[in-house]
Amino acid sequence: MNLLTALARLLIFPGLLFAVPAAWFFLWVERKSVALMQERVGPPFMQPFWDFVKLLGKSTPPRPGIAGLLMRAWPLIAVSAAAGAVGLLPVLPSSGGFEGDLILLLALLELPSICIIAAGFSSRSIFGEIGSAREAALSVSYNIVFLLAIVSIAASQHTFRLEALASAPFTPLHWLGVLAILVCLPAKLHINPFSLPNAEQEIYSGPMTEYAGPELAMWELSHGLEWVAGTGLVATLVAPHIAIPWGGAWLAACIFVAISFGVVLLLSALAAATARLAIDSSVRFYWQCTLIFAVLAVSSAIFMRFRS
Amino acid sequence: MNILIMLWKNLRRGYQTLLFPAHPRVTPRFRGLVQFDPALCTGCAVCRFRCTSRAIEFKAGKGEFTWSYNPGQCTFCGRCVEGCAEHALKEGHTEHALSQQEAVPPVYTTQGELKKSYTVARRPPAAKMATTATARSAGGDARTTAGLEAGATPATGGAQ
Repeated sequence: MNLLTALARLLIFPGLLFAVPAAWFFLWVERKSVALMQERVGPPFMQPFWDFVKLLGKSTPPRPGIAGLLMRAWPLIAVSAAAGAVGLLPVLPSSGGFEGDLILLLALLELPSICIIAAGFSSRSIFGEIGSAREAALSVSYNIVFLLAIVSIAASQHTFRLEALASAPFTPLHWLGVLAILVCLPAKLHINPFSLPNAEQEIYSGPMTEYAGPELAMWELSHGLEWVAGTGLVATLVAPHIAIPWGGAWLAACIFVAISFGVVLLLSALAAATARLAIDSSVRFYWQCTLIFAVLAVSSAIFMRFRS
Repeated sequence: MNILIMLWKNLRRGYQTLLFPAHPRVTPRFRGLVQFDPALCTGCAVCRFRCTSRAIEFKAGKGEFTWSYNPGQCTFCGRCVEGCAEHALKEGHTEHALSQQEAVPPVYTTQGELKKSYTVARRPPAAKMATTATARSAGGDARTTAGLEAGATPATGGAQ
Protein backbone atom coordinates (compact mmCIF):
# COMPACT_ATOMS: atom_id res chain seq x y z
CA MET A 1 0.00 0.00 0.00
CA ASN A 2 1.61 3.22 -1.11
CA LEU A 3 1.25 6.57 0.61
CA LEU A 4 -1.39 7.88 -1.80
CA THR A 5 -3.62 4.82 -1.36
CA ALA A 6 -3.18 4.98 2.39
CA LEU A 7 -4.16 8.66 2.47
CA ALA A 8 -7.14 8.04 0.18
CA ARG A 9 -8.33 5.21 2.44
CA LEU A 10 -7.83 7.24 5.59
CA LEU A 11 -9.31 10.51 4.36
CA ILE A 12 -11.85 9.58 1.68
CA PHE A 13 -13.19 6.04 1.59
CA PRO A 14 -13.79 4.28 3.91
CA GLY A 15 -12.03 6.95 5.97
CA LEU A 16 -13.17 10.31 7.27
CA LEU A 17 -15.19 11.59 4.28
CA PHE A 18 -17.36 8.48 4.33
CA ALA A 19 -17.04 7.46 7.98
CA VAL A 20 -18.16 10.71 9.61
CA PRO A 21 -21.53 10.98 7.76
CA ALA A 22 -21.89 7.20 8.14
CA ALA A 23 -21.31 7.57 11.89
CA TRP A 24 -24.12 10.13 12.17
CA PHE A 25 -26.33 7.98 9.94
CA PHE A 26 -25.76 4.84 12.02
CA LEU A 27 -26.35 6.75 15.24
CA TRP A 28 -29.64 7.99 13.79
CA VAL A 29 -30.61 4.49 12.58
CA GLU A 30 -29.91 3.07 16.03
CA ARG A 31 -31.86 5.77 17.88
CA LYS A 32 -34.73 5.79 15.39
CA SER A 33 -35.15 2.03 15.20
CA VAL A 34 -35.03 1.64 18.99
CA ALA A 35 -37.61 4.44 19.26
CA LEU A 36 -39.93 2.83 16.71
CA MET A 37 -39.65 -0.52 18.47
CA GLN A 38 -40.66 1.26 21.69
CA GLU A 39 -43.56 3.10 19.99
CA ARG A 40 -41.80 6.47 20.08
CA VAL A 41 -41.31 8.94 17.23
CA GLY A 42 -37.53 9.05 17.57
CA PRO A 43 -35.17 11.76 16.39
CA PRO A 44 -35.31 13.46 12.96
CA PHE A 45 -32.83 12.33 10.32
CA MET A 46 -30.37 15.18 10.87
CA GLN A 47 -30.47 15.06 14.68
CA PRO A 48 -27.03 13.46 15.32
CA PHE A 49 -25.44 16.02 12.96
CA TRP A 50 -27.17 18.97 14.63
CA ASP A 51 -26.29 17.56 18.06
CA PHE A 52 -22.67 17.59 16.97
CA VAL A 53 -22.88 21.13 15.59
CA LYS A 54 -24.69 22.37 18.70
CA LEU A 55 -22.08 20.85 21.01
CA LEU A 56 -19.28 22.38 18.94
CA GLY A 57 -20.85 25.80 19.50
CA LYS A 58 -21.00 25.47 23.27
CA SER A 59 -18.21 26.42 25.63
CA THR A 60 -16.84 24.12 28.29
CA PRO A 61 -17.47 25.38 31.82
CA PRO A 62 -14.40 25.76 34.04
CA ARG A 63 -13.42 22.55 35.79
CA PRO A 64 -11.10 23.46 38.62
CA GLY A 65 -8.73 20.75 39.74
CA ILE A 66 -8.99 18.70 36.56
CA ALA A 67 -6.09 18.31 34.14
CA GLY A 68 -7.49 20.21 31.15
CA LEU A 69 -4.99 18.98 28.60
CA LEU A 70 -5.63 15.33 29.38
CA MET A 71 -9.39 15.85 29.36
CA ARG A 72 -9.13 17.46 25.93
CA ALA A 73 -6.72 14.82 24.60
CA TRP A 74 -8.74 11.67 25.31
CA PRO A 75 -11.67 12.35 22.96
CA LEU A 76 -9.29 13.44 20.20
CA ILE A 77 -7.27 10.24 20.54
CA ALA A 78 -10.49 8.21 20.54
CA VAL A 79 -11.75 9.90 17.36
CA SER A 80 -8.39 9.46 15.61
CA ALA A 81 -8.20 5.79 16.58
CA ALA A 82 -11.77 5.02 15.52
CA ALA A 83 -11.30 6.89 12.21
CA GLY A 84 -8.04 5.00 11.63
CA ALA A 85 -9.80 1.71 12.32
CA VAL A 86 -12.48 2.51 9.73
CA GLY A 87 -9.77 3.53 7.24
CA LEU A 88 -8.07 0.15 7.61
CA LEU A 89 -11.17 -1.85 6.65
CA PRO A 90 -10.68 -3.52 3.26
CA VAL A 91 -13.99 -2.42 1.78
CA LEU A 92 -12.98 -2.10 -1.84
CA PRO A 93 -11.52 -5.11 -3.68
CA SER A 94 -7.70 -5.01 -4.01
CA SER A 95 -7.52 -1.79 -2.02
CA GLY A 96 -4.13 -2.59 -0.59
CA GLY A 97 -3.17 -3.26 2.97
CA PHE A 98 -0.14 -4.75 4.62
CA GLU A 99 0.77 -7.86 6.55
CA GLY A 100 -0.27 -7.39 10.17
CA ASP A 101 -2.89 -4.69 9.56
CA LEU A 102 -5.37 -6.86 11.48
CA ILE A 103 -3.31 -6.37 14.64
CA LEU A 104 -3.26 -2.61 14.06
CA LEU A 105 -7.03 -2.66 13.52
CA LEU A 106 -7.60 -4.54 16.78
CA ALA A 107 -5.37 -2.06 18.62
CA LEU A 108 -7.20 0.92 17.10
CA LEU A 109 -10.58 -0.61 17.93
CA GLU A 110 -9.51 -0.98 21.55
CA LEU A 111 -8.03 2.49 21.89
CA PRO A 112 -11.37 4.38 22.28
CA SER A 113 -12.29 2.05 25.12
CA ILE A 114 -8.96 2.75 26.86
CA CYS A 115 -9.49 6.49 26.30
CA ILE A 116 -12.95 6.25 27.93
CA ILE A 117 -11.44 4.50 30.96
CA ALA A 118 -8.68 7.11 31.22
CA ALA A 119 -11.13 10.00 30.70
CA GLY A 120 -13.36 8.78 33.51
CA PHE A 121 -10.47 8.63 35.95
CA SER A 122 -9.05 11.97 34.71
CA SER A 123 -12.36 13.69 35.36
CA ARG A 124 -12.09 12.92 39.10
CA SER A 125 -15.84 12.52 39.22
CA ILE A 126 -17.27 9.67 41.27
CA PHE A 127 -19.66 8.84 38.40
CA GLY A 128 -16.77 8.93 35.92
CA GLU A 129 -14.71 6.64 38.08
CA ILE A 130 -17.56 4.15 38.49
CA GLY A 131 -18.17 4.21 34.73
CA SER A 132 -14.48 3.73 34.00
CA ALA A 133 -14.20 0.83 36.43
CA ARG A 134 -17.21 -0.78 34.76
CA GLU A 135 -15.75 -0.18 31.29
CA ALA A 136 -12.46 -1.75 32.38
CA ALA A 137 -14.19 -4.83 33.83
CA LEU A 138 -16.35 -5.17 30.72
CA SER A 139 -13.40 -4.65 28.39
CA VAL A 140 -11.42 -7.42 30.07
CA SER A 141 -14.43 -9.73 29.75
CA TYR A 142 -15.52 -9.24 26.15
CA ASN A 143 -12.06 -8.76 24.70
CA ILE A 144 -11.06 -12.33 25.51
CA VAL A 145 -13.85 -13.62 23.27
CA PHE A 146 -13.46 -10.84 20.68
CA LEU A 147 -9.71 -11.22 20.24
CA LEU A 148 -9.69 -15.01 20.33
CA ALA A 149 -12.44 -15.13 17.70
CA ILE A 150 -10.59 -12.83 15.30
CA VAL A 151 -7.18 -14.37 15.96
CA SER A 152 -8.53 -17.87 15.36
CA ILE A 153 -10.01 -16.81 12.01
CA ALA A 154 -6.67 -15.26 11.10
CA ALA A 155 -4.69 -18.26 12.31
CA SER A 156 -6.81 -20.66 10.28
CA GLN A 157 -6.07 -18.61 7.15
CA HIS A 158 -2.35 -18.28 7.98
CA THR A 159 -2.46 -14.51 7.64
CA PHE A 160 -2.88 -11.35 9.65
CA ARG A 161 -3.71 -9.34 6.55
CA LEU A 162 -7.27 -8.00 6.52
CA GLU A 163 -7.74 -8.17 2.77
CA ALA A 164 -6.77 -11.84 2.69
CA LEU A 165 -9.20 -12.55 5.52
CA ALA A 166 -12.01 -10.67 3.79
CA SER A 167 -11.56 -12.66 0.58
CA ALA A 168 -11.04 -16.00 2.35
CA PRO A 169 -13.56 -18.78 1.62
CA PHE A 170 -16.35 -19.16 4.16
CA THR A 171 -15.85 -21.99 6.63
CA PRO A 172 -17.82 -22.95 9.75
CA LEU A 173 -14.97 -21.43 11.77
CA HIS A 174 -15.42 -18.16 9.91
CA TRP A 175 -19.11 -18.02 10.86
CA LEU A 176 -18.32 -19.04 14.44
CA GLY A 177 -15.85 -16.17 14.67
CA VAL A 178 -18.33 -13.69 13.19
CA LEU A 179 -20.97 -14.86 15.68
CA ALA A 180 -18.52 -14.34 18.55
CA ILE A 181 -17.73 -10.84 17.26
CA LEU A 182 -21.46 -10.06 17.04
CA VAL A 183 -21.91 -11.18 20.65
CA CYS A 184 -19.13 -8.81 21.73
CA LEU A 185 -20.27 -5.78 19.73
CA PRO A 186 -23.05 -4.64 22.14
CA ALA A 187 -20.46 -4.42 24.92
CA LYS A 188 -17.98 -2.66 22.67
CA LEU A 189 -20.61 -0.12 21.59
CA HIS A 190 -22.08 0.32 25.10
CA ILE A 191 -25.62 -0.55 24.13
CA ASN A 192 -28.16 -2.59 26.08
CA PRO A 193 -27.78 -5.02 27.75
CA PHE A 194 -24.18 -3.89 28.28
CA SER A 195 -24.70 -0.14 28.59
CA LEU A 196 -23.07 -0.17 32.01
CA PRO A 197 -20.21 2.30 31.56
CA ASN A 198 -22.48 5.16 30.55
CA ALA A 199 -25.57 3.94 32.38
CA GLU A 200 -28.12 6.72 32.03
CA GLN A 201 -30.38 7.44 35.01
CA GLU A 202 -27.91 5.54 37.14
CA ILE A 203 -24.47 7.16 37.05
CA TYR A 204 -25.44 10.10 34.76
CA SER A 205 -23.27 9.29 31.77
CA GLY A 206 -20.32 7.64 33.49
CA PRO A 207 -16.96 8.79 32.15
CA MET A 208 -18.68 11.50 30.07
CA THR A 209 -20.26 13.21 33.09
CA GLU A 210 -17.70 16.01 33.29
CA TYR A 211 -17.58 16.55 29.52
CA ALA A 212 -19.38 19.32 27.65
CA GLY A 213 -19.14 21.33 24.46
CA PRO A 214 -16.68 20.39 21.70
CA GLU A 215 -15.08 17.65 23.80
CA LEU A 216 -18.42 15.91 24.24
CA ALA A 217 -19.03 16.37 20.51
CA MET A 218 -15.78 14.51 19.85
CA TRP A 219 -16.90 11.68 22.16
CA GLU A 220 -20.20 11.45 20.27
CA LEU A 221 -18.31 11.34 16.98
CA SER A 222 -15.94 8.73 18.34
CA HIS A 223 -18.94 6.63 19.41
CA GLY A 224 -20.43 6.91 15.93
CA LEU A 225 -17.12 5.97 14.33
CA GLU A 226 -16.92 2.96 16.63
CA TRP A 227 -20.31 1.91 15.25
CA VAL A 228 -18.98 2.20 11.69
CA ALA A 229 -15.78 0.32 12.56
CA GLY A 230 -17.49 -2.44 14.55
CA THR A 231 -20.28 -3.12 12.10
CA GLY A 232 -17.84 -2.58 9.21
CA LEU A 233 -15.55 -5.29 10.57
CA VAL A 234 -18.45 -7.75 10.52
CA ALA A 235 -19.42 -6.52 7.03
CA THR A 236 -15.92 -7.04 5.61
CA LEU A 237 -15.76 -10.54 7.09
CA VAL A 238 -19.12 -11.68 5.73
CA ALA A 239 -19.39 -9.65 2.50
CA PRO A 240 -19.13 -11.84 -0.59
CA HIS A 241 -16.39 -10.74 -2.94
CA ILE A 242 -17.87 -10.51 -6.41
CA ALA A 243 -15.40 -10.02 -9.22
CA ILE A 244 -16.96 -7.55 -11.66
CA PRO A 245 -14.66 -5.71 -14.06
CA TRP A 246 -16.75 -2.51 -14.16
CA GLY A 247 -18.48 -1.03 -11.13
CA GLY A 248 -17.06 -3.63 -8.77
CA ALA A 249 -15.92 -0.96 -6.32
CA TRP A 250 -19.39 0.61 -6.18
CA LEU A 251 -21.00 -2.77 -5.65
CA ALA A 252 -18.53 -3.65 -2.91
CA ALA A 253 -19.19 -0.31 -1.20
CA CYS A 254 -22.96 -0.82 -1.44
CA ILE A 255 -22.71 -4.36 -0.03
CA PHE A 256 -20.52 -3.04 2.79
CA VAL A 257 -23.04 -0.33 3.68
CA ALA A 258 -26.02 -2.71 3.40
CA ILE A 259 -24.48 -5.35 5.67
CA SER A 260 -23.36 -2.69 8.17
CA PHE A 261 -26.90 -1.30 8.13
CA GLY A 262 -28.30 -4.77 8.79
CA VAL A 263 -25.93 -5.27 11.72
CA VAL A 264 -26.95 -1.88 13.15
CA LEU A 265 -30.62 -2.91 12.94
CA LEU A 266 -29.85 -6.24 14.59
CA LEU A 267 -27.99 -4.58 17.45
CA SER A 268 -30.73 -1.97 17.81
CA ALA A 269 -33.34 -4.71 18.12
CA LEU A 270 -31.21 -6.32 20.81
CA ALA A 271 -30.88 -2.98 22.60
CA ALA A 272 -34.64 -2.40 22.46
CA ALA A 273 -35.46 -5.93 23.61
CA THR A 274 -33.19 -6.06 26.62
CA ALA A 275 -32.63 -4.19 29.84
CA ARG A 276 -29.29 -3.25 31.35
CA LEU A 277 -27.49 -6.08 33.12
CA ALA A 278 -25.55 -5.59 36.31
CA ILE A 279 -21.77 -5.66 36.01
CA ASP A 280 -21.39 -9.06 37.67
CA SER A 281 -23.99 -10.59 35.33
CA SER A 282 -22.27 -9.04 32.30
CA VAL A 283 -18.85 -10.31 33.31
CA ARG A 284 -20.31 -13.75 34.09
CA PHE A 285 -22.04 -13.78 30.69
CA TYR A 286 -18.80 -13.24 28.82
CA TRP A 287 -16.62 -15.48 30.98
CA GLN A 288 -19.06 -18.36 31.36
CA CYS A 289 -21.46 -18.32 28.41
CA THR A 290 -19.65 -16.89 25.41
CA LEU A 291 -16.15 -18.11 26.12
CA ILE A 292 -17.34 -21.36 24.56
CA PHE A 293 -17.38 -19.56 21.19
CA ALA A 294 -13.79 -18.52 21.59
CA VAL A 295 -12.67 -21.96 22.77
CA LEU A 296 -14.47 -23.60 19.83
CA ALA A 297 -12.95 -21.09 17.40
CA VAL A 298 -9.43 -21.57 18.74
CA SER A 299 -9.70 -25.35 18.75
CA SER A 300 -11.07 -25.30 15.20
CA ALA A 301 -8.20 -23.03 14.14
CA ILE A 302 -5.62 -25.38 15.69
CA PHE A 303 -7.32 -28.35 14.03
CA MET A 304 -7.32 -26.62 10.64
CA ARG A 305 -3.67 -25.67 10.96
CA PHE A 306 -2.67 -29.25 11.73
CA ARG A 307 -4.79 -30.56 8.87
CA SER A 308 -3.24 -28.18 6.39
CA MET B 1 -39.20 -14.78 21.97
CA ASN B 2 -42.18 -12.87 23.36
CA ILE B 3 -40.18 -9.69 23.44
CA LEU B 4 -39.37 -10.01 19.72
CA ILE B 5 -43.06 -10.48 18.93
CA MET B 6 -43.80 -7.41 21.00
CA LEU B 7 -41.16 -5.39 19.13
CA TRP B 8 -42.57 -6.49 15.80
CA LYS B 9 -46.09 -5.51 16.88
CA ASN B 10 -44.80 -2.13 18.06
CA LEU B 11 -43.08 -1.57 14.71
CA ARG B 12 -46.25 -2.39 12.83
CA ARG B 13 -48.48 -0.29 15.10
CA GLY B 14 -46.38 2.84 14.61
CA TYR B 15 -45.45 5.44 17.14
CA GLN B 16 -47.72 6.59 19.92
CA THR B 17 -45.81 9.70 20.97
CA LEU B 18 -46.19 13.14 19.43
CA LEU B 19 -43.77 15.53 17.80
CA PHE B 20 -43.10 18.78 19.63
CA PRO B 21 -45.78 21.26 18.52
CA ALA B 22 -48.59 18.74 19.01
CA HIS B 23 -50.28 18.76 22.41
CA PRO B 24 -51.33 15.55 24.10
CA ARG B 25 -54.90 15.35 25.36
CA VAL B 26 -55.31 15.91 29.08
CA THR B 27 -57.00 12.95 30.65
CA PRO B 28 -59.69 13.42 33.34
CA ARG B 29 -57.31 11.88 35.88
CA PHE B 30 -54.55 14.40 35.17
CA ARG B 31 -53.37 16.09 38.35
CA GLY B 32 -52.37 19.69 37.75
CA LEU B 33 -51.74 22.59 40.11
CA VAL B 34 -53.83 22.49 43.26
CA GLN B 35 -56.66 25.02 43.14
CA PHE B 36 -57.69 26.61 46.43
CA ASP B 37 -61.15 27.90 47.20
CA PRO B 38 -60.91 30.23 50.24
CA ALA B 39 -64.67 30.33 50.62
CA LEU B 40 -64.81 26.68 51.56
CA CYS B 41 -61.66 26.42 53.64
CA THR B 42 -62.23 26.05 57.38
CA GLY B 43 -58.55 26.25 58.25
CA CYS B 44 -58.31 22.73 59.61
CA ALA B 45 -54.76 22.41 58.10
CA VAL B 46 -55.21 18.73 57.26
CA CYS B 47 -53.80 19.49 53.81
CA ARG B 48 -50.64 20.87 55.39
CA PHE B 49 -50.14 17.66 57.40
CA ARG B 50 -50.87 15.45 54.40
CA CYS B 51 -48.45 17.32 52.15
CA THR B 52 -45.30 15.18 52.10
CA SER B 53 -43.33 17.59 49.94
CA ARG B 54 -44.13 20.56 52.19
CA ALA B 55 -45.55 22.54 49.31
CA ILE B 56 -48.45 23.66 51.49
CA GLU B 57 -47.81 25.96 54.43
CA PHE B 58 -50.31 27.00 57.02
CA LYS B 59 -49.94 29.79 59.53
CA ALA B 60 -52.62 30.31 62.12
CA GLY B 61 -53.12 33.89 63.27
CA LYS B 62 -55.52 35.73 65.48
CA GLY B 63 -58.90 35.59 63.80
CA GLU B 64 -57.39 34.60 60.47
CA PHE B 65 -55.04 32.08 58.89
CA THR B 66 -52.68 32.11 55.94
CA TRP B 67 -52.65 29.24 53.52
CA SER B 68 -49.75 29.06 51.02
CA TYR B 69 -49.05 26.77 48.15
CA ASN B 70 -45.71 26.49 46.33
CA PRO B 71 -46.12 24.71 42.97
CA GLY B 72 -42.34 24.51 42.62
CA GLN B 73 -42.26 22.09 45.54
CA CYS B 74 -45.47 20.19 44.74
CA THR B 75 -45.22 16.60 43.54
CA PHE B 76 -48.89 16.50 42.49
CA CYS B 77 -49.59 13.44 44.59
CA GLY B 78 -53.15 14.58 45.25
CA ARG B 79 -53.12 13.70 48.95
CA CYS B 80 -54.17 17.21 50.00
CA VAL B 81 -57.19 17.13 47.70
CA GLU B 82 -58.07 13.66 48.89
CA GLY B 83 -57.93 14.71 52.54
CA CYS B 84 -59.87 17.99 52.26
CA ALA B 85 -63.22 17.28 53.89
CA GLU B 86 -64.64 20.65 52.83
CA HIS B 87 -63.64 20.25 49.16
CA ALA B 88 -61.77 23.55 49.29
CA LEU B 89 -58.95 22.03 47.25
CA LYS B 90 -59.26 20.55 43.80
CA GLU B 91 -56.84 19.40 41.13
CA GLY B 92 -56.46 21.68 38.15
CA HIS B 93 -56.57 19.83 34.87
CA THR B 94 -55.04 22.38 32.55
CA GLU B 95 -53.23 24.54 35.07
CA HIS B 96 -49.89 22.84 34.78
CA ALA B 97 -46.87 23.14 32.50
CA LEU B 98 -46.89 19.40 31.86
CA SER B 99 -50.43 19.49 30.55
CA GLN B 100 -49.02 21.63 27.70
CA GLN B 101 -52.32 23.45 27.41
CA GLU B 102 -50.83 26.78 28.38
CA ALA B 103 -49.07 28.87 25.77
CA VAL B 104 -46.33 29.83 28.18
CA PRO B 105 -45.44 27.42 30.97
CA PRO B 106 -44.70 28.98 34.36
CA VAL B 107 -41.07 30.02 34.59
CA TYR B 108 -39.38 30.91 37.84
CA THR B 109 -35.86 32.03 38.54
CA THR B 110 -35.84 32.15 42.32
CA GLN B 111 -37.05 29.63 44.83
CA GLY B 112 -40.67 30.16 45.86
CA GLU B 113 -41.45 32.61 43.06
CA LEU B 114 -44.58 30.72 42.10
CA LYS B 115 -45.77 30.54 45.68
CA LYS B 116 -49.27 31.85 46.22
CA SER B 117 -50.65 32.82 49.63
CA TYR B 118 -54.19 33.45 50.82
CA THR B 119 -55.08 35.10 54.09
CA VAL B 120 -58.53 33.96 55.12
CA ALA B 121 -60.55 35.31 58.02
CA ARG B 122 -61.77 32.70 60.42
CA ARG B 123 -65.52 32.45 60.64
CA PRO B 124 -67.62 31.53 63.62
CA PRO B 125 -68.72 27.88 63.57
CA ALA B 126 -72.39 28.60 62.79
CA ALA B 127 -71.63 31.06 60.03
CA LYS B 128 -68.99 28.71 58.66
CA MET B 129 -71.47 25.86 58.46
CA ALA B 130 -74.04 28.11 56.82
CA THR B 131 -71.49 29.33 54.26
CA THR B 132 -70.41 25.81 53.49
CA ALA B 133 -73.99 24.69 52.99
CA THR B 134 -74.65 27.62 50.67
CA ALA B 135 -71.45 27.03 48.80
CA ARG B 136 -72.24 23.37 48.30
CA SER B 137 -75.62 24.16 46.85
CA ALA B 138 -74.30 26.97 44.64
CA GLY B 139 -71.86 26.87 41.69
CA GLY B 140 -68.09 27.50 41.60
CA ASP B 141 -68.31 31.25 40.90
CA ALA B 142 -70.77 31.78 43.73
CA ARG B 143 -68.46 29.96 46.13
CA THR B 144 -65.50 32.17 45.25
CA THR B 145 -67.56 35.32 45.70
CA ALA B 146 -68.85 34.11 49.05
CA GLY B 147 -65.31 33.34 50.14
CA LEU B 148 -63.99 36.76 49.21
CA GLU B 149 -66.92 38.40 50.97
CA ALA B 150 -66.08 36.35 54.02
CA GLY B 151 -62.63 37.90 54.13
CA ALA B 152 -60.31 35.89 51.85
CA THR B 153 -57.47 38.00 50.56
CA PRO B 154 -55.28 36.44 47.91
CA ALA B 155 -51.80 37.76 48.46
CA THR B 156 -49.31 38.41 45.73
CA GLY B 157 -47.46 35.55 44.15
CA GLY B 158 -46.44 34.05 40.84
CA ALA B 159 -48.86 32.94 38.19
CA GLN B 160 -50.20 29.44 38.65
